[in-house]
Amino acid sequence: MEKFTVELTAANSCGVLHHISGVYAKCRINIDALTFAPEAESELAVMQVTSKGNESVRTHLLKLLLKLYDVKSVTLTQPK
Amino acid sequence: MVRTGANIVIESLCRNGTETLFGYPGGAVLPIYEELYRNSYRLRHILCAHEQNAVHAADGYARTTGRPGVVIATSGPGAANLVTGIATAGLDSVPLVVITGNVSVPLLGKDSFQELDITSVTRGITKHNFAVNSPCELSRVIDAAFHIALDGRPGPVLIDIPKNVQNESCQEEDESSPLYFTRKRPLPALDALIRMLCESSRPLIYSGGGIISGRAWGELEELANRIDAPVVFSMMGLTAMRSSHPRNGGMCGMHGTALSAELLKKCDLILALGVRFSDRASGNCEKFREGKKIIHIDIDPSEINKNVSADIGITGSLKSVLTELLKTLPRQSRPEWQQFHKSIKLKNVPAEIKTLVPENLFPAVAKYCDEDCVIVTDVGQHQIWTMHYYPFKTPGSLLTSGGLGTMGYGLGAAIGSSVARGGKRTLLFTGDGSFGMSLQELATAVSQKLPLLIIICNNGVLGMVRQWQTMFYDQHYSHTTLNRQTDFPALARAFGAEGKKITTLEELDSALQDLAPDRPTVLDCRLDKDEWALPIIPPGGSIEEMITEKKGI
Ligand SMILES: Cc1ncc(C[n+]2csc(CCOP(=O)(O)OP(=O)(O)O)c2C)c(N)n1
Ligand SMILES: [Mg+2]
Repeated sequence: MEKFTVELTAANSCGVLHHISGVYAKCRINIDALTFAPEAESELAVMQVTSKGNESVRTHLLKLLLKLYDVKSVTLTQPK
Repeated sequence: MVRTGANIVIESLCRNGTETLFGYPGGAVLPIYEELYRNSYRLRHILCAHEQNAVHAADGYARTTGRPGVVIATSGPGAANLVTGIATAGLDSVPLVVITGNVSVPLLGKDSFQELDITSVTRGITKHNFAVNSPCELSRVIDAAFHIALDGRPGPVLIDIPKNVQNESCQEEDESSPLYFTRKRPLPALDALIRMLCESSRPLIYSGGGIISGRAWGELEELANRIDAPVVFSMMGLTAMRSSHPRNGGMCGMHGTALSAELLKKCDLILALGVRFSDRASGNCEKFREGKKIIHIDIDPSEINKNVSADIGITGSLKSVLTELLKTLPRQSRPEWQQFHKSIKLKNVPAEIKTLVPENLFPAVAKYCDEDCVIVTDVGQHQIWTMHYYPFKTPGSLLTSGGLGTMGYGLGAAIGSSVARGGKRTLLFTGDGSFGMSLQELATAVSQKLPLLIIICNNGVLGMVRQWQTMFYDQHYSHTTLNRQTDFPALARAFGAEGKKITTLEELDSALQDLAPDRPTVLDCRLDKDEWALPIIPPGGSIEEMITEKKGI
């Protein structure tokens, strides 16, 4: 299974990580690496989440992440 | 202006159009209940017997009106009792705003009395949830909850409000907004779709709950006429066309009609509208799409290519996409395809028998119900019989737990629906097992003077599970025979409702002629334990494997 990284911009608020990791958990995808940092002078945070999965898993996961109301944007950064 | 959190809750509910809410009080929502007391002239609170049923009632209210249902419960056990109802609404895309109280903020995280991290518990079953920390967040969080509940694909939103937040005050100018993001999508081009439709010789429309929740049944009928195609339905979409409509091909899926299976086998294109190709409806997905083109239109982008890959996938509200499509879609004629539909439809006419069997029970009850009567079911064989034998006449008139398949959904939902329609008669088909899960709510139907007609399909067994044990587990009836002595008519009377035992069609007929106008009536209809819900496609199977008759047992 291929490694992939998703970059998300989301509200920097209590519970947001739970919403995001919940989508991974629902799809039974393990999170291998996670970085999380607030964006300067904004209410947003940026995070990178690395895990493993084939293309159909990635496509569906991205759609589910984009449905979260505290997530502003979702980009697959690896593989390009 | 300075207002308390509890007052802001009431103001915000009213501002968002709430007239009725369902709930159950407790320590952590006392400040809100105090405000409900003061505002009873403009907000009707229906006290249920159990929080789970309160959510089902709010769900029934929402499905009936198209507006979000509102429910309130206390922290801890009150909040925990909501879970099944929220999950039921979520899987059937029903808009709800659920308010829970919690212990005060300083007590959170300390296993305080009746503390429950309900936002964590409901993370996977809500569309979104909010944990509120200050009264100044409340007003806009509640606005956001109503917006999100209806935005795109509808669903439940939960707001958890600690008790101190309800008691504390906020100046209007200090109010803050929650940060959340919605996505607008432009209407996609429809040329390729029109071309594919025109090239098809045998298109079949497969219509689902999206047509019902999008209230796009008018557009559906116009589309079917325009392309001269039959329509089959998922359970959630069943009432979009009246049962007797010449284009109606019945329900498809595990318990679908043989007619729909024939149409699915023969068609060369499936135009799927507001469906999610659930395993229950499509069975083996590979076989389902074999040799066919698929066009899939749904409001939720994550549904496209999820279970069945589509040749064309379009994201948008059914109402707006179909309206746009109908502007340019040319009229088409397919006499041979029509003829095929007619010829197999005739083969499916049921045989005539005169006893109290499911084939007769449902039409007999329907004769006494208004055209716009709302029909609610519980879960089991009686649910499938309702789909097959009740002659539906009005779009959106069926409330059933399709996605989660929740036994015990029915009575609460029937109460909510009846309340939404000003206390009109609502019909509930339930099973002896299902009714056992929610019957305490008869107390609410009586206190609210609701003339529910409750038909218990009493077969003495958990019929649907027993049927599977007969078919797939060598008739090993492990814990599906109820062996109960419950006297349902006496129980109904104990609650202040009417109740009668029914063993023949004649008894049913006479009972239906004189129904109480101001309280529920429970008809305990005795059915044979070995009746089956047919046809059935074995789990994981395809339409070729459909079993239509009870053979060899
Ligand atoms: C809450 C819940 N528990 C268990 C089930 C599994 N289940 C599905 S149908 C069924 C039997 C239902 O029995 P009854 O209400 O008597 O209906 P019948 O099938 O006999 O018509 C059961 C146990 C369920 N769907 N929901
Ligand atoms: Mg039963």
